Amino acid sequence: MSKIRRLAVVMSAVAALMTGATAAAADGAALFKAKTCWSCHGKDAKTPLMPFYPSLAGQNAEYMFNQMKDIKSGARSNGNTAAMKGVMGLVNEEEMRVIADWLATLQ
Amino acid sequence: MSLKSMVTGLTAAVAISLSFGVNAADTSSWSKDTVSGETDQAMHLEPDLENGRDIFEVCSACHMPEGWGMTDGTFPQLAGQHRPVLIKQLADIRALNRDNPTMYPFALPESIGDEQALADVTAYIEKLPMNPENGKGEWAEGTPEFEQGKKLYADNCVRCHGDHGEGNKEKFYPRIEGQHYAYMLRQFEWIRDGKRRNANPDMVDQIKNFTDKDMKMVINYVSRVLVDKKDLAPSANWTNPDFD
Ligand code: HEC
Ligand code: HEC
Ligand code: HEC
Repeated sequence: MSKIRRLAVVMSAVAALMTGATAAAADGAALFKAKTCWSCHGKDAKTPLMPFYPSLAGQNAEYMFNQMKDIKSGARSNGNTAAMKGVMGLVNEEEMRVIADWLATLQ
Repeated sequence: MSLKSMVTGLTAAVAISLSFGVNAADTSSWSKDTVSGETDQAMHLEPDLENGRDIFEVCSACHMPEGWGMTDGTFPQLAGQHRPVLIKQLADIRALNRDNPTMYPFALPESIGDEQALADVTAYIEKLPMNPENGKGEWAEGTPEFEQGKKLYADNCVRCHGDHGEGNKEKFYPRIEGQHYAYMLRQFEWIRDGKRRNANPDMVDQIKNFTDKDMKMVINYVSRVLVDKKDLAPSANWTNPDFD
């Protein structure tokens, strides 16, 4: 866990330097990387690992937040959600919110 | 250390270990289904470590750039695992012999690539130094539970996993020393209860009468076996220079 946190800290520092974006946006990018999300959804959140995995860049934030919560709880368990459920223990609601807000800002 | 120098330094070692693994590969029936065709082929190919590093990047999202996984057992340590074991497990995951939906897409040829890619990434992983501070069970050396686990290990596990959990490369017996306690406990229980359908039937038979407490004690012991220093990273703060 400490390693992930360390990575998150480094990543947010880098992201903030590069873009001068707000702390929240930098955290969203860092979390998306540190919490494994990019491995399936792609570094840019729109080149998914499998052609039938969703692209997330620019999707509605509230919608995504709710999907994350439902995939984590199992309320949504259709399609390929089982793949994602295995990593959702790594994020809490606050972090999901930050990631969703950040994803929504992407093109 | 640059990627190039690391790669050159490793090539010789890999060539040796490879030719070794190939000739002695076991073909007994329990592993035949998943150790055939392309996996067999992967074990015979000359690996390209630089390409292995590139493929490993996506794996590092979960298994970490060092290949150490997480001490809480969510993701296993892969660093230092025998290549034939890695290749067999990837084939088994792909064949849905392990209930592992999160790992599944990464074992598919569409994402990992062909036999050559499999050869490359597993050669890269095998050479990564291991985590010197793996996740451990609750009973320190000297406690009755530790001692009982040690005895259970000697009586039930040594013949396959070796004196100190080093496994057996030629026979696809995994190295279990240095692995995270929580991960091993889950796998052991699944093997005992038939949930890991690729398991070795002789192991299943050997452990079928293990109680949950026996299981915890023996895995506690395994998690506390001291791994040879030469296979470990210099410290728990070591970071993989290939992913700067
Ligand atoms: C192992 C692969 C994998 C990982 C890792 C993963 N996801 Fe997913 N995700 C999926 C799949 C597959 C779906 C679509 C599920 C389906 O088929 O219904 C999905 C769906 C989603 C959705 C809903 C999209 C929609 O349009 O309904 C969101 C939002 C999402 N993921 C965010 C994340 C975040 C944030 C993370 C990291 C914490 C993450 N995912 C990690 C595979 C993954
Ligand atoms: C989204 C997260 C994720 C990614 C990315 C990922 N894995 Fe895994 N992997 C897992 C999980 C979770 C397990 C263990 C599941 C279980 O408990 O059975 C696992 C298990 C494994 C195992 C079995 C280990 C053992 O000791 O038996 C191997 C080998 C493996 N992964 C290799 C890879 C390789 C190679 C890649 C990249 C091509 C990769 N993984 C990418 C999540 C991931
Ligand atoms: C007859 C040989 C044999 C015996 C005896 C045996 N094992 Fe195993 N064990 C194996 C093989 C082979 C595998 C890999 C199975 C597979 O391919 O899925 C394995 C897998 C495991 C794993 C999962 C490793 C991983 O990385 O996923 C653990 C943990 C384990 N054994 C612990 C033990 C312990 C502890 C004992 C003694 C109580 C024991 N085994 C006895 C052959 C054996």
